[in-house]
Formats: sequence, C-alpha cells, structure tokens
Amino acid sequence: MLAEIGLASLALALLLALYAAAACLLGIRAGGDMLLRSGRNAALLTFPATLLATAALVLALMTEQYQMSYVWSVTDPQTPAIYRFTALWGSQRGSLLFWSLLLSLFTFGAISLNWRSEGRLMPYAIATMMATLSFFLGLSLLLENPFERWWILPDMPESRQVVETALIPPGAIAPAMENLAASATGLNPLLRHFGMIIHPPMLYLGFVGFTIPFAFALAALASGDLSTGWIKATRRWTLIAWVFLSLGLILGGRWAYDVLGWGGYWGWDPVENAAFLPWLVGTAFIHSVMIQEKRGMLKTWNMALVIATFSAVMFGTFATRSGVIESVHSFARSEVGFPMLAFWALMTFIALTLLLWRWQRGELRGERQFANILSRETMFVLNNVIFIALFAAIFWGSFGLPIISELFMGVEVTIGPATFEFFVVPLFIAMYILMGIAPLSAWGSTSARRLGKAITVPFSLTILSVLLLMIAGTGALVSILGYGVVLFAGYVALFEIYRGARARHRGLNENWMRAVIALFRRNQRRYGGYIVHLGVTVIGIGVIGSTVFQTEVQHTLARGEIIAVKDYGLRYDDYIRAQAVDGRMMNIAELTVLRNGAQVARIRPRVDDYPDMPMTIAGAHSTLENDFYVLLIGGNRERATFRIYINPLVNLVWWGGIVLIIGTVIAAYPKVVPARRIRKREAESP
Amino acid sequence: MAEISWAKPKHLRKTKGAERLKFLIGGGLILASVIYLLVSGTLQGARYFITVDDLLKDGAYLGKTVRISGAVDGESIEYDSENAIIRFEIVNIPSQFDDLASALRAALADPAASRLSILVEDEAIPDLLQHEAQAILTGALEVDGIFHAGELLLKCPSRFEETSPEGLSAIPEHN
Repeated sequence: MLAEIGLASLALALLLALYAAAACLLGIRAGGDMLLRSGRNAALLTFPATLLATAALVLALMTEQYQMSYVWSVTDPQTPAIYRFTALWGSQRGSLLFWSLLLSLFTFGAISLNWRSEGRLMPYAIATMMATLSFFLGLSLLLENPFERWWILPDMPESRQVVETALIPPGAIAPAMENLAASATGLNPLLRHFGMIIHPPMLYLGFVGFTIPFAFALAALASGDLSTGWIKATRRWTLIAWVFLSLGLILGGRWAYDVLGWGGYWGWDPVENAAFLPWLVGTAFIHSVMIQEKRGMLKTWNMALVIATFSAVMFGTFATRSGVIESVHSFARSEVGFPMLAFWALMTFIALTLLLWRWQRGELRGERQFANILSRETMFVLNNVIFIALFAAIFWGSFGLPIISELFMGVEVTIGPATFEFFVVPLFIAMYILMGIAPLSAWGSTSARRLGKAITVPFSLTILSVLLLMIAGTGALVSILGYGVVLFAGYVALFEIYRGARARHRGLNENWMRAVIALFRRNQRRYGGYIVHLGVTVIGIGVIGSTVFQTEVQHTLARGEIIAVKDYGLRYDDYIRAQAVDGRMMNIAELTVLRNGAQVARIRPRVDDYPDMPMTIAGAHSTLENDFYVLLIGGNRERATFRIYINPLVNLVWWGGIVLIIGTVIAAYPKVVPARRIRKREAESP
Repeated sequence: MAEISWAKPKHLRKTKGAERLKFLIGGGLILASVIYLLVSGTLQGARYFITVDDLLKDGAYLGKTVRISGAVDGESIEYDSENAIIRFEIVNIPSQFDDLASALRAALADPAASRLSILVEDEAIPDLLQHEAQAILTGALEVDGIFHAGELLLKCPSRFEETSPEGLSAIPEHN
C-alpha cells in the first residue's frame, strides 16, 4: 500500500510541476491572471505531494517493507531506527526523491514570501523552479523509482523470474517477506555515522537552495525587470543556500576525518571538489552583489555568477551521480548521467542566451565605472577574481585536464592532491589578504594614505603575533607567515567591530555591550559578514595547524607497554571482542592517553567486522590544542598495532565552521521592525 | 557670470585614463599569474592515467611517476603491520568498460590478464583494500618489477552494485 501511495503522489507531484510551469508560461504569454494564479497554486501543491511520497518511503523504511527494492537494498533487520530514517538519502533513488522534496519546499517558501512583492518576476521564477522540479521528479518516476517492488514471475525462465518493477506485472507473485528480510543488504557501513545523518541533507539544502536565486535571475532576464528587485528577493535565499552548503562541506570533512581513517578531512577527490565549486562561485556572488546594490555596477557579472553557481550545482550533481568520474564517492554508474548532462547543458544554454541578449541590448550596463584602484568595489572585484581563479584551478584539475587529455591525447592525464595544493595555496593567501584589506577601503574612492592609516592597528597586531609565534618557535617561517596572513583578516574583522562599537560608545554614550548589540542590529549584513570572516580565519588557522604540523607514526605495542609520541604517551591496556546490538563483531583496543606522565583520557579505537568489509573507527582525545587520533590496525590481546596521529588545531576547523554559521545567521536573519514604526511609515506614506 | 562647460577638465580625463591603465596592468598581471600557476602546476604534477598493460608494454614508463588502475586480487594482500608495508597484486582492467564491477570480476577471472605487484610503504591498511576492489595508484614501476605506490585510492563498486535477492519463494495470497 505504501508503494502505491508513494508512486501515486510522485506522479501527482510531477503532473502538478509540469502544469505549474506550463500555466505560468502560458499565463505570461496570454496575460492571464487566473492562469498565473492557477500555476502558482499548482506549484505550492507540489510540496505536499512530494512530502507524501517521501513520507511513504520513510514509513516503508521504518516498518521494514522489504518488498520495496529500495528498502531491501539500504536496510536490513539489524539496522538501527536512526539509520533506517537516514537511509532515505543512503542511495541514489531515495536521495533523488529527497532532492525533489527540498526543491518543492524551497519553492513553497519562495512563493509564499515573494508572490506579492515580486509579482512581475514570480511567474518566470515559478516556471524555472517547476521545470527543475519536473526534471528531478521525472528522473525519480522513470529512471530511479524508489517505489519499485520485487516480484516473482513463475512463468519465466529461472534466471529472469525475479523482477523489480513499480507496477505489478501480469501473473506476478509477491516474494515471501522473511526471505527478503534474510537477504536484505543493509546500509553501506561507511554511511553509518553521525556525519551521514546530517551531511547529505545540508549539502542538498545548499545545492537545491541555489535554484531559487537562479530562478529569480532567469526571471529578471526573461521579464526585462533588471532592477535590483531580483537581488533583494534572493539575497536571503542565497545566504541560506550558502550556509547550508558550507555546513555540508564542513560536515563532509568531519565524516571523512572520523570514518575514512587517514587522519585528514579533504582529499581533493573530484566529488568533493564538485561540491566545493558551487561554494566558490556562490561566495563570489555574495560579495559582488553588494557592488550592484551599493553602486549599480557589475550587473552582467552578477547574472553570470548566479548562472555559474546553478550550473556548477547541476554539474556537480551529474559528476557525483553519473558514475563517469573516477572517485571514491561516486554512486553506481547509472542511467541518470545522460539526462543530467542534457538538463545541465540546456539550462545553462537558456540562461547564457538570455544574458547575452540583454547584454547586447545594453540593458545590463553599469551605472558607474571603476574610478579608483583602492576602492572597495575594486577590492571586491579582486576578491571575485580570486574565487573564480580557485574555481578555474579546481575545475581544471578535477575535470578539465582529464577530459581534454582523454579527448585529444587518447590518454587520461590527472593531477594529485599535491598539485591541487600548489594551485590553491597562493590563491588562498591572496584571498585572506583581500579579506583583510577590502573592509577597510571605502566605496567609490580611497587614498593609499587613508587605507594605510586604517590598516595600521590590525597590521601591527599581526606583526606582533608573528613575532610571538617566532619567539615561541612554533615552526617553519613559511607556516608562521601563513598564520600571519590568516590572522590579519581576523584582526581586521575584530577591529572593524571594535571601531563601530567605539563610535556608538563615545557618540551615543552607550555601554560597550549595548553598543555592540546595536551595531549588529543596525547593520546585520556587514557585521554578520565580519563574524563570517572570523569563522574563515579560525578555519584557516585550523587548516594550517593540522596539515603543516601533523605527526603520523605507526607502532606495535605489547599489552601494558607505553609509547611516547611528542609530549603524549600511549599505553596499550587491553583488547576486547564484543558483539554490537546489530550483530556485527567489534574488535576494540583499550588505550590510555598520558600527557607529561599523567593520565588524560582513555580511548577505544576499534575495527567493526561487517559482512562485506571491516570498518576502522578512530579513537581520539580531542582538545582545542590538538587531536590525539589513534587507529587500530590489527592485533590480539598480547600485541596490537596502532597508527597514531597528532593533528594540531584540527578542532578549529569545526569550530570555525560554527562561527561561520553564526555569522551567516546574523547576516540573513530577517529584520524585526517594531509595529509602531510600521504604523508610522504607513501614516507618513501618501 | 561664470561659463559652464559640460566637457570634463583635462586633468580629470588624464586621471581616469591613468586609473584605467592601472586596472589594465593589474588585471593583466593577475591573469598572467593565474595562468602561470595553472600551467606550471600542471606540467609538474600531471600524471598519465594508464592501464597495467600500457605500463608493462612500454619501457618508457619505467621509473616514471604514473597513475594506474587495476583490480585487486584479494588473496595476494599482505600487510606487515610492524613496518606499515602493504603488498598486493592488481590485474589489468581495460581503460573502457560499461560496468566497473563486471570489468573487475572479469579481469580477475582471466588467467591471461597481466598482473602487477604493488608495494605501498608507511600506510595503514585501508578498509576498502579487498578482493575485486579497484585500486587507483600513483607511483612508479621500478627495476625490481614492483610498482612502488605513494598514493593509493580504492573503490569498491560491488558496494554500489544493484543486486537481486536470491532464493525467493512466492506468497500467492499477497498478489
């Protein structure tokens, strides 16, 4: 019954989405208000319809409906309830449906919030969102249907008796549930981790969220309403998508750090890079859009960035799901590859054609020109250049070089992590320097003298920090300079907050706390942005510490033996084999972590034996200073081998991520306007 | 009465021209730096991604850092945990195939397929290093006939393979 409900609601959602797109386009052409409203209502209804389909699948997963082949392939009777739920995005078919659910949710939100204020843009925006939703729902219904069931066809030859179809084939018999339960494959062990509970939804929210700014940009291009209306309508959506994508990337790193057992969190794998690419272009857009709002410049560029962000999202989805890119993350090679490539090409082509058309007509001409090389708008453009250069370098290494070499040389040429680092390190240094200088320059024009004066305090603090690090003997000069560059950006953000609060403290006689709160309230975007910069600074410190100063050793210890690693000690206490509630056997080493001779923690690295593969789970003693991270390689009660990592400052990467999220929430949080002020405004308006 | 002129004063025009020149020079320098970065990085770090057959047939690859891919023979895996040394054999898989899982299975079942011994030093043994995994290795074939790999990536397509339940019996009343 759940399969039927799911299938029917999926089909209904697709019909509604197709109808909504068609009604909006016809309504625009015919000028029919009723048709437009009908299209809007259909678009709103896609959310409950997709929600019903998703609820049917979740219920099937939770109640162990193994006749549904998706449930059979991602769960088994031993799967804990939480992973039954997360199995919704544990494989291709479920995750595509989940993607559609999120897109319908975003569409619902965008229509509810913007229908009245952006009446001219909305029909075009709805048509774009619904065309995208139709595509994904179509994939779910026709190629990757999560509601297919196992059937037995007794009249067929034995090798073709078991089939998987959405509709009941003639003469088909349902297989016995107990046999299905016994043979169910269960969730990939690598996905049974806390990070996997929230990493994919965050990443999908980020990916899907960028559809909304794209839809509004396309609407502005198609309708000819090229004022800043589309930017105002999508500013918050862009920040929301961006923060989810940031969170998704950070959580993905955390998952890799915890589960993949190599002591790192970013491997420059093509699929990781595919998720990073839209983030880079999206970040460029978030910055350059301010120039359009403040100075009426870069209109074509901003449109191009929004199109590029959506295009990167679609390309990333294609790269991950088509299976054509060699990656440790790829899904199975499936039939969705070609349709996704075609959809990506079609949407990008439509958007670029519209952009070119408007540009040729001179409708995207800037209201001002760049007048000063030190102005804030120039700094923001430089920042954009850096982000686009990062995008180009990572795209080139991940996709461009392998594809072009294969096409023209007949042999695939690839690059490894070291080359990616060679590309990105200088560009990230430039990015941090600009992150420091840009907030200190003024819109329009800044003299070198004024800029120099503004930089004095943060730059002096940076020099002082670098000297202190050198005196403390923290490491090589290169890494200390790296810290200096990163700290400079952070000091500027702190100094700007301090300067703003000081002005209020002195000018308005507010106490410091009140001054800071008022400062953030009055200019959420600017000061929220500074908090984001602080978060990026903290991440930068964590990345330098954990990559440049990582210690990695491997030792075999007899029971009771202690090994010294830097100022830590590790004692091997015991080795236990135990059975988990889901039936897997766990090989657990009990270890004591010592520091300067004193016990600081007990950790239990382990290896879990799943039917198809072992899974190594690290044991870690975490402090803000470093992670003492241990993997059990193998052994027995008497002797065991461990791989030991000391990852300095690695936790700052995760904490920086939290700061970044807080900053974005501040920047995107809707402004609360008191009722009395609204009444006053209404009374004043003619 | 003062005269009003709509033409920009000469000194202002000059300033604008000078600023534009600064933008052009700055932009050109940035573009040149980024292109230099990409070209030099690619020339230094580019690795041919070849098959085991290509590597063994062409002597020019001896001692050269390349990237290869092959099917892992599970029975050949040895791990010296004291010295953190992994040894195993991979079997040639063709560069073009429809389905990776089938290609890996077919390669391991083919007694005539070329085999290559792999040595990876100072590495923890990865969970995914198992029979029928695809190993993607960066390293060089040395004169000892062993491929010394510095980087090891593994992919288990069987984990993502669509499978069907076996040994099913029917329950006619459910139909």
